[in-house]
Amino acid sequence: MITLNHYLALASILFCIGIYGVLTRRNAISVLMSIELMFNAANINFIAFSKFITPVFLTGQVFAVFVITIAAAEATVALAIVILIYRHHKEINVDKINFLKW
Amino acid sequence: MSWLTPDINFKIISPELIILIVALLVLILEPLLKGRSKNILPHISWIGVALALVSVITLWNREELGFNQMFILDNFSCFFKIIFLSGTLLVILSSISYLKEEKIFHGEYFSLILFATFGMMLMASSLNLIVIFLGLEIMSLCLYILAGFRRYDLKSNESSMKYFLIGAFASGFLLYGIAMLYGATNSTNLKEILIFTQGFENPLFLFIGLGLILVGLGFKIASFPFHMWVPDVYEGAPTPITAFISSGPKAAGFSALLRILLFAFGSLHIDWSFVLWILAVLTMSFGNVIALSQTNIKRLLAYSSIAHAGYVLVALVAGGDSGISSAMFYLLAYTFMNIGAFIIIIFLGEKKVNLDDYSGLVTKYPILGITLALFMFSLAGFPPTSGFMAKFYVFSSAIKSGYTGLAIIGVLNSFVSVYYYLRVVVIMFMRAPVDEVQKVPIPFFLGLALLFSVWGTLHLGILPQSFLTLAQNSIFSPF
Amino acid sequence: MNIPILSYMVFSPILGMILVMLLKKEQVQGIRWVSAIFSFIPLILSFFLLANYDPSTSKMQFVEFHKWIPSLGANYHLGADGLSVPMLFLTALLSFVSIIGSFNINFRVKEYFAFFLLLETGMLGVFCALDFFLFYIFWEIMLVPMYFLIGIWGGPRKEYAAIKFFLYTLFGSVFMLVGILALYFTVEPHTLNMMELIRRAPELSRGFQLIVYVAFYLAFAIKVPIFPFHTWLPDAHVEAPTAVSVVLAGILLKMGLYGLLRVSYPMFPKAALYFALPLALLAVINIIYGALVCMAQKDLKKLVAYSSVSHMGFCVLGIAAITVTGISGCVFQMVSHGLITGALFLLVGVLYDRAHTRDIDAFGGLWVKLPVYSGIMTLFCLGSLGLPGLSGFVSEFMVFIGAFPVFKVIVAIAVLGVVLTAGYFLRMIQRIFLGEFNPKWEGLPEISGREIFTVTPLAILMIFIGVYPMPLANMIRATMENIVRLVGG
Repeated sequence: MITLNHYLALASILFCIGIYGVLTRRNAISVLMSIELMFNAANINFIAFSKFITPVFLTGQVFAVFVITIAAAEATVALAIVILIYRHHKEINVDKINFLKW
Repeated sequence: MSWLTPDINFKIISPELIILIVALLVLILEPLLKGRSKNILPHISWIGVALALVSVITLWNREELGFNQMFILDNFSCFFKIIFLSGTLLVILSSISYLKEEKIFHGEYFSLILFATFGMMLMASSLNLIVIFLGLEIMSLCLYILAGFRRYDLKSNESSMKYFLIGAFASGFLLYGIAMLYGATNSTNLKEILIFTQGFENPLFLFIGLGLILVGLGFKIASFPFHMWVPDVYEGAPTPITAFISSGPKAAGFSALLRILLFAFGSLHIDWSFVLWILAVLTMSFGNVIALSQTNIKRLLAYSSIAHAGYVLVALVAGGDSGISSAMFYLLAYTFMNIGAFIIIIFLGEKKVNLDDYSGLVTKYPILGITLALFMFSLAGFPPTSGFMAKFYVFSSAIKSGYTGLAIIGVLNSFVSVYYYLRVVVIMFMRAPVDEVQKVPIPFFLGLALLFSVWGTLHLGILPQSFLTLAQNSIFSPF
Repeated sequence: MNIPILSYMVFSPILGMILVMLLKKEQVQGIRWVSAIFSFIPLILSFFLLANYDPSTSKMQFVEFHKWIPSLGANYHLGADGLSVPMLFLTALLSFVSIIGSFNINFRVKEYFAFFLLLETGMLGVFCALDFFLFYIFWEIMLVPMYFLIGIWGGPRKEYAAIKFFLYTLFGSVFMLVGILALYFTVEPHTLNMMELIRRAPELSRGFQLIVYVAFYLAFAIKVPIFPFHTWLPDAHVEAPTAVSVVLAGILLKMGLYGLLRVSYPMFPKAALYFALPLALLAVINIIYGALVCMAQKDLKKLVAYSSVSHMGFCVLGIAAITVTGISGCVFQMVSHGLITGALFLLVGVLYDRAHTRDIDAFGGLWVKLPVYSGIMTLFCLGSLGLPGLSGFVSEFMVFIGAFPVFKVIVAIAVLGVVLTAGYFLRMIQRIFLGEFNPKWEGLPEISGREIFTVTPLAILMIFIGVYPMPLANMIRATMENIVRLVGG
């Protein structure tokens, strides 16, 4: 039997993987993917809570749809920025794009 | 809660609708208009903002819920909308000449600013965490693009990317926190969360969720230790956008934070105020101390904006009626003085951002020199300017709530900050001018924006009563 | 009294500032005369104050009250009593004299006079504000123009001196701000009205009084300056342009003392009694230390600056005694020091403008060449060292009489300070005016008519107070008695 705790555990593992990815990956695309992992971890939470705690309402599930939409929009913007930078630098390593004092 | 019949009330979102329509109009007109006729776009935009401002004022003193309790129209949201719209107005007015100078005069610039404003307005008047999140994302996505609007400038690109990566990272925290709260309280509606937190048992989830939300919003308001993006983004972004980021989005972050902390979690004030106390002290001190050694004026103002976030956090720690209204008054005052200071930097252009470039500014441009000095004194908290009133109000609300130690730290911090603000003034007034480049006349609309900010800074400083009353009337009833 | 005379006084310089700003940069003469006229108005009004002041009561007179920021409890509340009226007069007089004395400024004239007029408003405001919020605002406003005046028109190390002055003073005033807020929230119902707070002073607990006294003391002691906060003073004085030094020594230093008498003593009587002895000790350190440093000075302006430190010590000693005579002596010393030191700075400026040096050893025998200048300078030096018949003597004598019953040993040491003062002033007179004439100064022109005009009123008043001190004594007596009664010493 898969309980709420299983889902929550999965979500938190995903979330932590996401954080780890953001902090260690140096490729902008990989960082973006890690961020997406964090968003999806939250989505799993939303859906699991919705299913187990408020099964009558679909609140959480609707929110998950919102989040997916936003994640898509974010990906669009992010890829546009990355492409712009790649055109200028031929480089998408975040450590090497460093003209400002970080 | 009926999900079947949509509860639509266009009247209460009329300011948002105006902004949205104007934004779309500008976006549609941009490809249709050719050549010089594009000059009309900024004027459409600022007129739209002014209309929205009028519509906000007509909605004053009403309290209505709409959209299944997702959207609330109250004085609190109206006050914040006034802050956002004034900031947007100033930024649009002062951008026109800048964009032409930098050869990036495109209609979507204005439309993105308006969309971002729309996002902020949504944040200020939502009663639901998800809507707050949506508003925040709408705002942030626009800002990411705007930060990189000087497409051919490497610094601008980098600023955009850093802003995006860190902003999205913070959104991840915020979203996860919202999910946790949803799990803990069965709702994302702030009213229901309020009812829940007044109960006896508060599950661990609740605090984890609140902590993650604090992290997420902490990035947006640039509080320590989530501030590291600020200097780089401020330096790289086009100056009007820097001005924009430092005022509106910060205020929007605070509006969400105020609602979440003092409304939904008002009953747990003792639990979170300690954390915020530490954050406030670190934010103020860090911002001010690092600002002391800056030589680039945009970076200097970036650190100063971190410090100012710390002062507003003091008001949040104080809580209660006066805490809320002092935070609001502070943000309003900060919008005028901060954008005012940026307007002068905008006028001088992207190439003159080192403090040394400001040598003898007052002999070359007496008006700009004097006004920049006024804004610097205001940021430093000198009477009779808005900065002093705002700080006085914040610190007095802290002492009123018994946080005397925090107030003393705050006052000492503003003492430290005087040193670097004064350095700008010293350079402008006491050094000889460096170059003899031809003097450029001040563009009309930029001058108008400057006048407006000077008016705001002085009016809030000398005769603040009307705005204080406004702020005091626009608090939501805290727990 | 229906005419808001104090408001007219405080804000007429601001009006002048606006007019000056509207004039063109090139209309130098216009700017000078507009400033002179608008600083003359407060002077005329201050005569009116003197004439209409009722010395029989310690109540506030010429009171103006308007609601200003009800949410913060701040009101627009002005008034004057026996302590403020002499200070207002001194401020108006010295500002006018300084503005006349600044007619030789040729660099960024417009800004100079605009800042000067703003400074005058700030100073006048401090001396008649009866609401803490207003008091604080004037206290701070004054800093800004002062900072610019030193920083732009000062000597070689002007930026350093300006920032040092600014940060020192600001450091004190932020503590004052916290003190004000603490007072505001401690008293029920909350009020920022200074008169009301004085009435409520007995309600404050001793511990609270001690803490808040220290907060205010920092602000005031830095301004006076009381040892060990005096280090900004020589820098600021030496670098500041002549007229600014006059105002700095003549008025700004008095603000600290004014604050002690207006705020610290009546509002925190228990703390005032507790800290009386330490204050007296610091005062005597000021007197002796200042005088000793003067003995070793080669720079004429620095000498006058350090003599201020020493003279302020007498004032503080008078305050610390908490007797009517002592405090009256302090007010006398405030007025007299304002007149004498103001004049001394003007005269040092006169010499510096001509000789471009302030080195005492560079001169010699000037009396032969410049008899008028030397005569005037010597007169003021004698006033400063306390020659009977001049105001300095009256005030120092009163301080000693007032303080002797309370601090016998300390006063005995302080009297030594008078001897030292005589020593360094006589040494200075001897080096500059007597002895062998230094032929290098053959072409030195005599003091001009305008310069004589600036010091004449100061000289007249100095002699008048020295010979006939009763009018001033009568004017301040009721107020001084009231202060002593409030402290209960």
